[in-house]
Amino acid sequence: MRKVAIYGKGGIGKSTTTQNTVAGLVEMGKKVMVVGCDPKADSTRLLLGGLAQRSVLDTLREEGEDVELADIRSAGYCNSLCVESGGPEPGVGCAGRGIITSINMLEQLGAYDDDQGLDYVFYDVLGDVVCGGFAMPIREGKAEEIYIVCSGEMMAMYAANNICKGIQKYAESGVVRLGGLICNSRNVDNEREMIDVFAKRLGTQMIHFVPRNNDVQRAEIQRKTVIEWNPKCTQADEYRTLARAIDGNRMLIKPKPLSIQELENLLMEYGLLGN
Amino acid sequence: MPSIDILPARAASITQAGQPGAAVRCGQTSVAGSVSQRACVFCGARVVLYPIADALHLVHGPIGCAAYTWDIRGAQSSGPQLHRNSFSTDLQELDVIYGGEGKLERALTVLIARHQPKAAFVYSTCIVGVIGDDVGAVCKRVAAATGIPVLSVASEGFKGTKKDGYRAACEAVYTLIGTGDTTGISPLSINLLGDFNIAGETWIVRDYFQRMGVEVVATITGDGRVDDIRRCHGAKLNLVQCAGSMTHLARKLRDEHGIPFLKVSFFGLEDMSAALYDTARHFGDPALMERAKAIVRDEVERVYPELRRYKEQLLGKKAAIYVGGAFKAFSLVRALRTLGMTTAIVGTQTGDKDDYAQLREMCDAGTVIVDDSNPLELAKFCLEKDVDLFIGGVKERPIAYKLGIGFCDHNHERKEALAGYVGMLNFAREVYASCCSPVWQYMPRRAGGAA
Repeated sequence: MRKVAIYGKGGIGKSTTTQNTVAGLVEMGKKVMVVGCDPKADSTRLLLGGLAQRSVLDTLREEGEDVELADIRSAGYCNSLCVESGGPEPGVGCAGRGIITSINMLEQLGAYDDDQGLDYVFYDVLGDVVCGGFAMPIREGKAEEIYIVCSGEMMAMYAANNICKGIQKYAESGVVRLGGLICNSRNVDNEREMIDVFAKRLGTQMIHFVPRNNDVQRAEIQRKTVIEWNPKCTQADEYRTLARAIDGNRMLIKPKPLSIQELENLLMEYGLLGN
Repeated sequence: MPSIDILPARAASITQAGQPGAAVRCGQTSVAGSVSQRACVFCGARVVLYPIADALHLVHGPIGCAAYTWDIRGAQSSGPQLHRNSFSTDLQELDVIYGGEGKLERALTVLIARHQPKAAFVYSTCIVGVIGDDVGAVCKRVAAATGIPVLSVASEGFKGTKKDGYRAACEAVYTLIGTGDTTGISPLSINLLGDFNIAGETWIVRDYFQRMGVEVVATITGDGRVDDIRRCHGAKLNLVQCAGSMTHLARKLRDEHGIPFLKVSFFGLEDMSAALYDTARHFGDPALMERAKAIVRDEVERVYPELRRYKEQLLGKKAAIYVGGAFKAFSLVRALRTLGMTTAIVGTQTGDKDDYAQLREMCDAGTVIVDDSNPLELAKFCLEKDVDLFIGGVKERPIAYKLGIGFCDHNHERKEALAGYVGMLNFAREVYASCCSPVWQYMPRRAGGAA
């Protein structure tokens, strides 16, 4: 079983990219579980056709310790398995602790056991890794492969670089490695070249460049992944390509984060090209 | 017996009377690796406020914080006993994740309806500080709904030292002050700050002042009552006994209500008498002074013959003192002298530079003076000085007994009142009974065996 976590700046499209990629993997016949690690519990909406999922933490709160896997795990598109950690309303409690609790719960319930026959588990983690709890998936060997979703926008690259610092820290003491950057295009100038170079400087690769396409938005309105909504459209093929790239990826490295100056220089170099 | 080493980082916090050298390092957070005898911020706040007997004391946190401070001092009340309960929101994993505000509000609402307290104190513990529950907002809502003061005590355990807990307690109690009617309060009136009535001391001391003709408006917090505290700003003088915990409140009352304060102690014949005389002198009323003198004369006469008998037996015996605040340490050094004993070791958890300077001056040369000590150090000094008695609290008791040394509890767990003249007699009896017990001659230390 490959254990993958998707990180990236808030609003960059992690959940959308994760679910569309998972759709590509399940279409290939892979058995995949998605674990949403965001208190908003919106990481599996497209696979499930709506926010139908009761979160692990809400279930724990309402039912007590006597929880079964079936109570918190639902089957989505092509028998993908969907779990949402859930968590508190904004501004109260400790969402980070919630992630820790719910992942522990899933382990106790045997969600990762061999008899589940999983090929992949995907953790979709809230954008800003604000405290130790949100780093849970990359600690203790829960996720072994990280993909960072970014774009050519400065703040997205800045966040990606910061996440690499976290991965670097945990890579020293554990098994977690960076698998690559997924560029979710925002139509920034020279975006493909810039992220390609950025990835190389981090010691990794741009595993795929996902072009901007309004079909993603159209599918989302229908509460579907692009592949389910319109399997024939070009964007569906982009996600299939990404899924295949991840499936075939063997390049797993300890990242070398850039200094702020190096990052700024990169932006100057590519951002001003052609102007 | 191999000698015990001191952590290098601790050396500056230890000195000896009669030796030159820098001031004792104090008022700092404890050295890592040194198992400090201090408690946490929360515990500091809890011990100060909890004797207020008609208030509800609710610990907002995991159950351990409440369980380990349940009736921690055994503070006596002449009326309500509500304070002897330890209420807790019992925060568990899902409360931490989803926030504890709802549970806190429900707990307060239920408990206030059930027990009808005059006020409620809500103590914040570590986890509440980490998850950021808005305790103040909950208190405000419940106060509005129930019509009683509901006070947030900002005592998150990790915020500093036990002293910061004292301060949080003073801040919380101060919000009550000034809300009561002060009509009818005598011009000769005081508040007693910093006696906690652990074995009835507040009653003993209050009686002396009342016999002198001084009105005691509020006792904060021993045998404390919310309504008394609300009007205590009508008193004309504050007597501060436990300086470590209550000086902050006394200063606020001086600065914002114009009430002067005197630091006093009610332990030992000399200090108790000084407290009565200083109060009489403060009010400048000759009749008051006459009555004070009469009380001192009567009381000393009553206890002195018996004290003398103990003194004959105790002459030359050596004691170690380790207590919370320095004022108690001063009093104990003097009280031991009254009994013919010497102080070989004296230390406190919360003393400041001036306190240690004073200890250096008042103790005999060679007395070990130590701030924020730990069990190993205390054991080391006890063995080196070959003391006959240890005076301390619950955490020092096992150190003394393991070394085969007599012990006198001068803190939470004492059952005999040690304040005032009768208290001095009780103290002498206890010291005599412990020091002169034949049991010690069978301990390896005295019997010549290996300790």
